[in-house]
Amino acid sequence: MATRTVTVQRPAPMDAPQGVVRSGAAVLKGMWIASRHFWRNFWGFVRGKPTVFTVQYPEERLQQPPAFRGMPVLVQMENGKERCVACGLCEWACPTDCITIYPAETDDEIERYPRVFDIDMSRCMFCGLCEEACPEEAIVMSHRVEIAAFSRRGTVWHKEDLLVPLRELETTRFPHIRRTYESPAAE
Amino acid sequence: MLTVVVVSVIKALIVIGMVLNLAGILGWVERKGSALIQDRIGANRAAIFGFAGAGLVNTLLADPIKFLTKEDVIPRGVDRLLHTLAPCVALFPAIVAFAAVPFGDRLRIGDMVVNLQAVEIDVGVLFLLAMTSLGVYGVVLGGWASNNRLSLLGGIRGSAQMISYELAMGLAVVAVVLTYGSLDFQEIVRRQGHMIGGWIPAWGILYQPLAFLLLLIAGIAETKRAPFDLPEGESEIVSGYFTEYSGIKYLMFFMTDFVEIAVVSAVVTTFFFGGWQVPFLASEGFVFPWGWSVPLPHVVVVLLQVAAYMVKVFIFCCLQVLVRWTMPRLRYDQLMWFGWKVMLPLGLANLVVTALVLLWIQG
Repeated sequence: MATRTVTVQRPAPMDAPQGVVRSGAAVLKGMWIASRHFWRNFWGFVRGKPTVFTVQYPEERLQQPPAFRGMPVLVQMENGKERCVACGLCEWACPTDCITIYPAETDDEIERYPRVFDIDMSRCMFCGLCEEACPEEAIVMSHRVEIAAFSRRGTVWHKEDLLVPLRELETTRFPHIRRTYESPAAE
Repeated sequence: MLTVVVVSVIKALIVIGMVLNLAGILGWVERKGSALIQDRIGANRAAIFGFAGAGLVNTLLADPIKFLTKEDVIPRGVDRLLHTLAPCVALFPAIVAFAAVPFGDRLRIGDMVVNLQAVEIDVGVLFLLAMTSLGVYGVVLGGWASNNRLSLLGGIRGSAQMISYELAMGLAVVAVVLTYGSLDFQEIVRRQGHMIGGWIPAWGILYQPLAFLLLLIAGIAETKRAPFDLPEGESEIVSGYFTEYSGIKYLMFFMTDFVEIAVVSAVVTTFFFGGWQVPFLASEGFVFPWGWSVPLPHVVVVLLQVAAYMVKVFIFCCLQVLVRWTMPRLRYDQLMWFGWKVMLPLGLANLVVTALVLLWIQG
């Protein structure tokens, strides 16, 4: 096989006179680029149309796609009650055992309800297996992510904290659940 | 006698106020400017009653308060005296260097003539060179006293760099001094007052363009900022000579940076851009070469000159901020090569050519 050689044209080294000139030109070019960015963004702010991509988080929030898995929450029906019937499937499916359920009975139409429904958010890994296991579409991965707390106890979310109105979830997570799992509640 | 003292004190206070405020505003310019250059928003969270002032509250109020109330950690094994002395030694010459730079022409109040210059020194240029040279002590002392190998490295780098670039700076300054034939800043500014052919202001940049470049680059190197920020070199030696500093001492090192920027800008303005001179502004008002003239009262003329000086200084401060956020850091051998093999020969050549031309002109 014939050996192919390529003669590389290297630019003049920096300590050659033309290298100094080239470096100087590069410096000026860099300053031109930097000032171009500065003035574009500056006028963007002055005109009230920012050209930067920053989302000012607590005030501004991005709409997450439906497949986004945030913290698991309990669906709250229109009558203010949870949809959960305390069957315990999510508790069983949970790989990290972060769900604790104590079931109880009532005389309502839905006869079973969780007396206690705790999720330890410090153990939850947002896998979504509880949502997949749930036959009632009662526990779903919401788009909420703010689970920071000042103590370990604070990371345990109780039933009252976990209830999220159906209306919010209808627009965020439900489209994905119905497309993916075809759960009975969708029919 | 008393009036002289009072006037001197007022002038000193004005200059100190100008320097410190400029340093604070520069901190803001640096933050927001760097943010805009890098397509960010920058500091905007600290606010008083919902007023953040585009980060002004953050930089001018929240930050100083934070630094002042933080614990001033003095690590075990440091030389306590030198450790405390170093930031003062760094900050003091930088502020004092401003004293010799005139910020306006003579102000006449009644029959009293006030020279708008904090200290009237005949050899202001030498004074300035001396003060900028003192700046290296803060760096070396800070690095030495910290009992930290990274600080020591930073201090050594800083001293090597500042000594190397001081030569080029001195040569550039000598060429300028030769051109104007004076070591007095006020005199140098006055010599830039006339118009070449009635149109072009006779600013130093037209006579000494190379010296301008050399002085600006050497000045940036003296301020120890990117691309010459090897003494700090945060990606290599944590924070260089002020690694072991916190609280108000850190703030002092921080302010030294900005004050030095202001000093370099003031010197460049004075030497090459006419100091407080405003084009077409004579002592009685504007006189334009096409025949117009706008007479102005004396006070307005002086105020215009002071404003022009401040605007020019601010523009050069902004230029340095732009440079700092554009250029990557030089490698150590590149730094030394540039200082000794490019800046120094250029400075020498500039000096020789200037001297020969002057000799030829003066016959």
